[in-house]
Amino acid sequence: MELPSSSAMETDANVPPAAPPKPLFQALKPHEMSDGKVQFRKIPVPSHRFAPLKRNWMEIYTPIYEQMKVDIRMNLKARRVELKTRQDTPDVSHLQKCADFVHAFMLGFDLCDALALLRLDDLYVDSFEIKDVKTLRGEHLSRAIGRLSGKGGKTKFAIENSTRTRIVIADTKIHILGSFVNIKVARDSLCSLILGSPAGKVYSKLRAVSARIAERF
Amino acid sequence: MGEEALSRLRTTEPVAYLAPSPELSSLTRAASGHLYSSLLPFCPSKPPLDHLLSDQSFDAEQIWSQIDLLSKPLLPFLRRQLSRLEKESKLQSSLPGNTLKSTGKTKKDEEEEEDNDEELGLGDEEEGDEDEDDEEEDDGEEFEDKDEEEGEDEKGEDEVKDKAVEDKFLKIKELEKFLEDGEAEEYGLPTQKKKIDQDYQDNGNETDQDEEDDDDDEEDALDIGNLDDDSEGELEEEMENARYEDFFGCQSNKGALKKSSRKKVKFDDRPQINEIEYEETDDEIENKEIEYQENDDETENNKKNMSTHEKEVAKLRSKIEEMERANLEPKSWTMIGEVTAAKRPVNSALEVDLDFEHNVRPAPVITEEVTASLEELIKKRIIDGQFDDVQRAPSLPSKAPRELKELDENKSKQGLAEIYEEEYAQKAGLATAPISVSDELKKEAEMLFKKICLKLDALSHFHFAPKPIIEDMSIQANVPALAMEEIAPIAVSDAAMLAPEEIFEGKGDVKDEKELTGADRKRRRANKKRRFKAESAKKPRPTTDANGQ
Repeated sequence: MELPSSSAMETDANVPPAAPPKPLFQALKPHEMSDGKVQFRKIPVPSHRFAPLKRNWMEIYTPIYEQMKVDIRMNLKARRVELKTRQDTPDVSHLQKCADFVHAFMLGFDLCDALALLRLDDLYVDSFEIKDVKTLRGEHLSRAIGRLSGKGGKTKFAIENSTRTRIVIADTKIHILGSFVNIKVARDSLCSLILGSPAGKVYSKLRAVSARIAERF
Repeated sequence: MGEEALSRLRTTEPVAYLAPSPELSSLTRAASGHLYSSLLPFCPSKPPLDHLLSDQSFDAEQIWSQIDLLSKPLLPFLRRQLSRLEKESKLQSSLPGNTLKSTGKTKKDEEEEEDNDEELGLGDEEEGDEDEDDEEEDDGEEFEDKDEEEGEDEKGEDEVKDKAVEDKFLKIKELEKFLEDGEAEEYGLPTQKKKIDQDYQDNGNETDQDEEDDDDDEEDALDIGNLDDDSEGELEEEMENARYEDFFGCQSNKGALKKSSRKKVKFDDRPQINEIEYEETDDEIENKEIEYQENDDETENNKKNMSTHEKEVAKLRSKIEEMERANLEPKSWTMIGEVTAAKRPVNSALEVDLDFEHNVRPAPVITEEVTASLEELIKKRIIDGQFDDVQRAPSLPSKAPRELKELDENKSKQGLAEIYEEEYAQKAGLATAPISVSDELKKEAEMLFKKICLKLDALSHFHFAPKPIIEDMSIQANVPALAMEEIAPIAVSDAAMLAPEEIFEGKGDVKDEKELTGADRKRRRANKKRRFKAESAKKPRPTTDANGQ
């Protein structure tokens, strides 16, 4: 923030010498940046995630409170998780990250997977529905869901492992957690599965793509 | 009286006739008169004289002319009767029960007529100088007269018989006629059309036939020239032809035979068809046939006029003409080179015997042996296990097989955060690369393999392969090379021994304490002191006051 005044003075010879010295400001604290206001985030809890939340509450609470320096509480009456910035919250984005983390957990992701959201910046959660891809009804829909997950979930795991993403199939809704490129690859595979291609075909494509991705890095 | 004269004439010796005697002449006159009167009733047309004027005053010539007047119409009549009798006799020989009577009667009659004929012939002989031809004629006449008379008698008798057998379908006359015609065809005898002619025509027309008969008598039994024509003109023409051919002998015979046979062939066809109307329509049919026949006769005559050489030449010429005509005309489709289906008539290729190469092996005829042989082969192959299976061509490994990254279908044990953590750690270099399970196994396998390879190469004293470099911490025994070079292990080289520099660098105290001299000891102590002083000068020593605070 504070420019070195000496350099300014050295470069500028034409400036009149009778100028007051520039003020030196200390760095703003995060809570000061938002004008001292406290920010909130409210994340509703679906009923089927209530029990897992209760179970994993400490694992959620600890990293948020300790490392992110964000206040967190569960509003039981409203069935919400509420987040609030503190004074010593280092960055504004921390609150958002925590919110994303909790939201990911609510969507159905595992804790360890959702934790990556806290740690890495460039991870996102992408959601879409089966009907966005293809209008299926009744048995076709059920079969499509079955195709997506595979026998014992092996197709889903295969996609997850090869693309380094995490996938949650919640009835007709599909959520993907991962980096942007990986989300794209995973989404393409899932869409092809929805449209009806057999798993073997998807595997071969995955292999090729993942090899390319691995080579790049 | 006449009969007596005849009998007396018969008994006299022939020698007596050589010399003229009035007794014999009177006898003969009487006999001839008797014969004349006896024959008179049989004559169809009455002669002017009722009895023979055979007095002494009459000349032989005159008497002969009278007899001639009588005999001229009589002879043909008798001849016909004789021929008819002949036929009837043949018929009746087949028919049982009829022959005996007729033959008996005929024989008697024959005897009577024979006498008459003989006397007639004798009389003629005596009266004038007759030629041998005449005698032959008379003989022929006699034979024919006999036949005719027999025919007459038989005819009379047969008429009685026939009416018992015949009905509206069967007529014995027709039957006889048919048989006669058949025989005539076979042997070339003159057909018995004369009988029919005599039945339906006047005797005036028969004069020509008489002449014909006279001519025929002169020759062999196979008579020619009985050209059975109805009209006079045709007859005359054919008579002329016959004479010409007669002059040339066998040629004409054949021709006539052909003609007659041909005619007879044609004629015979008809009775089979129209048996009932035979007698009435036969003349018309004959007319037509004869007209057609005449043309053939003429061409045949022309041919016969040419010699054999001429005939051959004519044949050749006709052949040449034919061939030239064929050459001028467009060729048949089989002779043209390439023919499409449009150029030849429909289905014409089926009729022609085409010959073309079959490039297809003909289908094998399946017999039991073939089947048995096949089955044996199959069994043998099964036992041997030698099947002609298609074997995949072994693909040459052009390059090393790429390591396929296996898709892990299990739930990943690490969370996403941990994966990224590891990735970051690798990048940053903080942590060693985590070896995946497959890599560990691979490394282990590699190690084992290298050890084995080393042992194997040692067998050949490393002539071709260098010792593999295994990068791992191993204790190097600083053993002198001499100790190593023993029985087997020429394999061990001293290249892996520690270098002198590695043992000792050179700085520091080289000499051992026992080796030190006095001056060296002093020097060492002095160095030590100097070092110590330097170090203590660097460290800030805590200063002590006089008071010890």
